[in-house]
Amino acid sequence: MGAAEKPVAKDTLIGKRIPKLDAPDKASGKTRYIQDLEVPGALHAKILRSAQVHARIVSIDTRAARALPGVHAVITAADVPWQRPIGVAKDHLPLKTDRVRSLRDEIAAVAADSEAIAEAALKLIRVEYEPLPVVVTPEQALAPGAPLIHPEPRGTGEGPQLKTSGASVAFAGKPDNIAMTFEYAQGDVAQGEAESDVVVEDVFRLHYVTHCCMGVSGVIAEFDSSGNLLLYSNTQVPFLHKREFAELLDIDPGRIRIIQPPIGGGFGSKLDIYPFEPIAIFLARITRRPVKLVFTREEEFIASPTRQPVLLKLRSGCHKDGTLTFRTVETVHDNGAYTSWGATTPFVMMQTISSLYRVPHCKYHTKAIYTNNPYAGSFRGYGNLQATFAVEAHMDKLAEAVGMDGLAFRLKNAQDPGEVTPQGMHFNSCGFKECLRTAAGRSDFLRKQAENRARWNDTDPIKRGIGIASMLHVGGGAKIYPSDGCGTILKIDDFAHLTLITGASEIGQGSETVLAQLVCEELGLPLSAVTVVNNDTDITPWDVGVHASRTTFIAGNSAIGAARKARAKILGAAAAKTGLAEDALELRGGYIVRRDSGEKLFELGKFLRGLHFSDRAELVMTTFYYEPPSHHQDRQFKGDVSAAYAWATQVCEIEVDTQTGIVRLLKVTGAHDVGRVLNRLGIEGQIEGGIVMGQGYALTENLMVENGVVRNPNFRDYKLVTAPEIPEMDVSFIETMDGEGPQGAKGVGEAPAICIAAAVANAIFNATGVRITALPFTPENVYRALHGAAQLPVWNDAA
Amino acid sequence: MADIKRYTAPTTLEEAAGILRAGNVTVLAGGTDLMPQTRAGRLQFQPVLMNVRRVPELGGIAEQGTAMRIGALVTITELLESALVRERLNLLWQACDHFASDQIRNAATVGGNVCNASPAGDTLVPLLALNARAVLASKPNGALQLRCVPLTGFFLGPGRSCRAPTELLTAIEVPLPPAGFRGEFYKHGTRPGLDIAAIAIALGARRDGPLLRDVRLAFGAVAPTPIRAPRTEAALEGRPLDAATLETAAGIALEEVHPISDLRASDWYRRELIHNMLKRVLTHVCQL
Amino acid sequence: MSASCDIAFALNGVKRELTVPAGMSALEMLRERLGLTGTKYGCGEGECGSCTILVDGATVNSCLMFAADCDGRELVTIEGVVTRQAGERLRDAFVASGAVQCGFCTPGLMVQASHLIERDHARDEAAIRRGIEGNLCRCTGYRKIIEAIAAAADAATQGTEHGRR
Repeated sequence: MGAAEKPVAKDTLIGKRIPKLDAPDKASGKTRYIQDLEVPGALHAKILRSAQVHARIVSIDTRAARALPGVHAVITAADVPWQRPIGVAKDHLPLKTDRVRSLRDEIAAVAADSEAIAEAALKLIRVEYEPLPVVVTPEQALAPGAPLIHPEPRGTGEGPQLKTSGASVAFAGKPDNIAMTFEYAQGDVAQGEAESDVVVEDVFRLHYVTHCCMGVSGVIAEFDSSGNLLLYSNTQVPFLHKREFAELLDIDPGRIRIIQPPIGGGFGSKLDIYPFEPIAIFLARITRRPVKLVFTREEEFIASPTRQPVLLKLRSGCHKDGTLTFRTVETVHDNGAYTSWGATTPFVMMQTISSLYRVPHCKYHTKAIYTNNPYAGSFRGYGNLQATFAVEAHMDKLAEAVGMDGLAFRLKNAQDPGEVTPQGMHFNSCGFKECLRTAAGRSDFLRKQAENRARWNDTDPIKRGIGIASMLHVGGGAKIYPSDGCGTILKIDDFAHLTLITGASEIGQGSETVLAQLVCEELGLPLSAVTVVNNDTDITPWDVGVHASRTTFIAGNSAIGAARKARAKILGAAAAKTGLAEDALELRGGYIVRRDSGEKLFELGKFLRGLHFSDRAELVMTTFYYEPPSHHQDRQFKGDVSAAYAWATQVCEIEVDTQTGIVRLLKVTGAHDVGRVLNRLGIEGQIEGGIVMGQGYALTENLMVENGVVRNPNFRDYKLVTAPEIPEMDVSFIETMDGEGPQGAKGVGEAPAICIAAAVANAIFNATGVRITALPFTPENVYRALHGAAQLPVWNDAA
Repeated sequence: MADIKRYTAPTTLEEAAGILRAGNVTVLAGGTDLMPQTRAGRLQFQPVLMNVRRVPELGGIAEQGTAMRIGALVTITELLESALVRERLNLLWQACDHFASDQIRNAATVGGNVCNASPAGDTLVPLLALNARAVLASKPNGALQLRCVPLTGFFLGPGRSCRAPTELLTAIEVPLPPAGFRGEFYKHGTRPGLDIAAIAIALGARRDGPLLRDVRLAFGAVAPTPIRAPRTEAALEGRPLDAATLETAAGIALEEVHPISDLRASDWYRRELIHNMLKRVLTHVCQL
Repeated sequence: MSASCDIAFALNGVKRELTVPAGMSALEMLRERLGLTGTKYGCGEGECGSCTILVDGATVNSCLMFAADCDGRELVTIEGVVTRQAGERLRDAFVASGAVQCGFCTPGLMVQASHLIERDHARDEAAIRRGIEGNLCRCTGYRKIIEAIAAAADAATQGTEHGRR
C-alpha cells in the first residue's frame, strides 16, 4: 500500500435507493419461475374439479382415462386411503371422498407425459353426481333444516397449531354450519354507549376479491430412491409446510426438502396448503416419477382462496367533545366450503376495532359460516381492509355529528408514543399523529373538503371528493405461532465475499436486497460482496414465514445479529493484532480502519486470509436466531402480539361522474410511519403497489360469486387496475426510529393497501353527500347508490 | 377442441375463395378472437384452417371515389396510424383508439372484428353509423364474384352475420361523410380501451346553423347486434339541440334499444347510461 | 391427430425451421418447443400482456398467435431484446428505477416498452400509460415502470440527437 492513502469516510447504505439484486435477471427473462422449471422425466398433472356446487359423488369411472396412451396414473380418493386432511381446521381432504362441497373441489387427478394428454384424460373421466341442496349465503346456512356442510369428523388435527386462546384447533365435525367464532371485549360497551352523546350504526358489506398473482400456482414433487421428498413449491412458509407435509405423508419431516423457486407474486396466497400440492405429491409417490402441476389462469381464479368477504355491523359512539367511547362490532364471514386463513382474519380485525384510535370500550363478535362458496385465505392486510373500511366511515360520521372536522376529530383520538391499548398493545414508536398531519397538510385536505362539499348542488355532474383514512397494523411481526423468529447463518470467505443464508423467503418484495443491505452496513462492504441463499430448507435456518409484514423487521434483526457477531470476531482479532481497543476500530469500505480517523489498517480480504491460513486457522462463520420481544395473546386475545406497530394515513382525491357512476382516483397522498427507510427504492415500490392494490379493492375488482359459481374467472371481466388508471401519488415517510427495529425500521408490506377503500368511501361522501357502505365502488354500484337504486347491506340477526 | 385436419395459407384471393368453396373452413386473420374462442370451447374449428394473412388483395386503405376502401386485413393499428382515416372517418378512428391494447390492435383486423359480429364490437358501431358496406367474395361457379352488403343488414345476432361460409370478407367500404360531418364515439368503461363496452354510442351529424343534419346514430352492447337508431335519428334530424329535443331523443332511443342484464351490467343501468350519455354526446357534437 | 405445419422463420435473428401442430400457439411453441421461457403464460387470452413478443416489428400477445402463422416472419422475444444495446439500456433503466418486484410481468413489459420507444410512442407519461395499458402488473403499481420507460426513452432520444453512441 502506498503512503498517505485516503481514509475511508463513513458512508451509509441506509435510506439509499438500492436496486434489487435479482432485478437484472428478471428483466432479462432469465429468471426461472416454477412454471419454467423442467425436471427431467417429469410427468404433467391435471386435476379434475367438481362440476357440481354441492353433491354426493355416486361413482367415478376412470377406466377410459387410464387407458389413454401417455397416461401414467389416474387417482381418486380411493387410491389414497391414507390421505389426511389439510388446512387451518383440518376439514379439508385433498381428494374428495363421498361429497363435493364447492365447485372447485378436487375429485380426481391425472399424471401424463404432457399437459395436453393430461387434459384429454380429464375429459374421459366419468363422474356421477347426486346433487344436494346448495347453500350460498350464511343466512341460508344457518336456517333451520339447512344442509350441513361438514357433519363428519376428520383427522385429529395434529400439526402446527395456532396458539389461539389455548385450545388446539381440532376438527370433530360440525353439528351446525358454524366453522369458527371469536369473541373479544374490552371495558364495558353498555357503559360506553350510555355515556355517549352520539351513537351511529351501519352495516357494511365487503366483497370477494382474489390475489391475481401474475404467475399462476404450480408445484413440482419428486421422491428419491430412499423415499425422501423434494418439493419445488412457492410456499411462503416453507418450514411450517415441511412439518405439515410430513404429517400428511406420515414421514419424518427431516425427509422433506422444500426448494422455493422465484415466485410470481404472493400477497399471502401461499400461506396455507391447498389440495393441489398434496395431490402432486400423491401422484409422484404412485408413479415414482417427478410430477409437475401448473394451474391455468381460469383454475387460478376458481380454485385459489379469496380475500375474506365480510358482513359487518358497527355501532360506535363518542362524547360531544369528540372523544370516542365505544365500538360494538358483529361480523359474519362466509367461510366457504373449507377453512383456511380467511376464518382467522378476526385476529387482525379485532386489533383495528379495539385500537385504531383510542377507544375504551369495545366488543367484537364474529361467526364464520360454512357455505358451498369458494373459501377465503390470507390476503395482504388480512381482514384489516374490511375492519378499517367500517371504522373510518364512522370516524367521519361521528366527527360530522359533533361538528368537528375530520382531521381534528382523528387527532383527538389518535394515540401517542408510549401508550398501551386496552388490548395490551405497546405503542413504543408511534407516528400516528404525524401521519395524520402530514397527509392532511400535503393534500390541503381541509380546504378541499370544504370546497367540494359546497358544490353538492352544482349542476356540473362531475363532482370532486377528498377523503381521509388511517390504518394500524403490526410492524414487528406477529406472535401467533410458538415462535415468531428467524435464523441467519453468515459466512465470509477468504476474499471478503459474504454468503448470507436466511430463513426468510423472498416473494418479490425485496427482502433479499434489504437483508443484504443491512449486513453490508454492519460490515462496511458493498452490495456486490453478498450472495443471499434463502430458498432451500436443507440449507437455511428456520423462519416462521413471510406474512404479517414481518420480514424486514425480524429477518433484518436476525441478519444484523449474525453480522454483528462476525464484526466482533473480526475486530477482536484485529484488536489483538494491533494492540488497539476493539471499539477504536471499525469496518468501512472493505477495510478495517481506525474509527476516529478512518485510517486504513487492513484490507479485509487479506486480513481474513491471514486468519484462515495461520495458526489460528479460523474462518468467520456466525449464526443468530432472533425472536422478537412480543407475546402470545392470552385466552381473551389480549397481549402485545408484535414487537412494533405501524401506522399510515392516506388521503384520496377522486372525481365522480354522477351520470355514469364512474369514480376516478386522481391522487393519493400518503404518510407512512415506517420506523426508518432502509431501501428507499424498495419501500416506495411496496407503497405504490399497495396503493394500487387498494385502488383495485375499492373501485375495480369484484370476484362475482353467484350460487357458488365464479362468474368471471378471467382478466377480461375481473378488472385489475391498469397503467392508465393509476393515481398521482405523494408518499411521505415518517421515521419514528423504532427502538427494536433493524436500524429503526418497521414492517410496511401490507400497510399501503389497507386504508385506500376507506378513504375513497369518505371521498365519495364528500363529493356527493352519499355514504356507500358496500364494496366495490364499480360504476353501476355507485350509480345505483347515487340514484336510490342500490341494494343496501342488511344485517340478519339470525346470522 | 376439434382437430384441425389441414392448415393452409393461400397467397391470392382466388386461391382463398376456392378453398372456401370446398367448404368446412375456419378463416384465420389476426387470431385475436379465434384463439381464445376455440381454446374456451365457444367455437369449434372446422377441419380446414385457412390463414388469409398472406393475401395481399385483402390489405390497404384507399380513397376510391366517394368512398374509402378498407381491406379486411387492415389492423386496428393501421387504422389508427392512417391520417386518411383520422381526417375523413374520424368516428371510426375514435373507436380504434378505444380498442383493447396496443398488442391486440397490432394483430386484430377490421375484417375479423366485423365477421366476429359481437354486439359490442368496437369498430362495428361507428361503421354502422357511417353506412359502411361489407364486400364479400366467393367463387360459386369457378369465377370470382363480389357482393356488397350494407352493414345495417349484415349482423343477424350475437356472433352471426349473413356472410355465407363459402364467402370471404375482402373489404369494408365506407362512403365518405359529407363536409362538416362531425362525430363522437363513446364507450362506457373505466379504462381507455381494454374494457368490453357496457354500452357504446357512435353519433355523427352536420351542423346547419343551430340545427343538426345527416344525423347518424348507432349503439353497441344494447341489442343482439350493434344497431342503428333510425327513429332517434329522425327525432333529431333538422332540429335545434335544446333541452326538449335532447329529452325526446333520449326517450325514443330507450325504445329502440333492447339491453340485457349480464355480468358486465344490468339492463336498467344500460338504459340509464343510454339516456344520460346520449344527451352528453349530443351536447358535445353540437359544440364541435 | 391434428394437422402439422412446417414453418421457417427468424427468431432473435437466427433462422429456425420447425414442424408444429396447427392449433399450437406461438407462446406454446416458444416455451415448450424452443425452450425460451422468458415469455410467460399469464392468462392465455390476451388480457395480461405477459406473453408479449415482437412479430415483424410490432408487439403482439403470443398466446393469441398461431405458431403456424410465424412462417416467414421475424420474431423477437425478451431474450433477443436484451441482447440489443437499446434493450440493455432499457433493462438497466428498469433495474435502476425499481420497476421490478416479483418480475413475472417484466419480460412482457420490457418487450412492449422497447417497441414503444422504437416507435417514439413514449414521449410523455400519458403516452407511456396508454402504451402499456395491455400489460398487467400486480406488484409495482406501475409508477416505477413508467419512470423506467421514460428514462430509457430520454436516453434513446439523447442517443439519436448526439449521433451514434
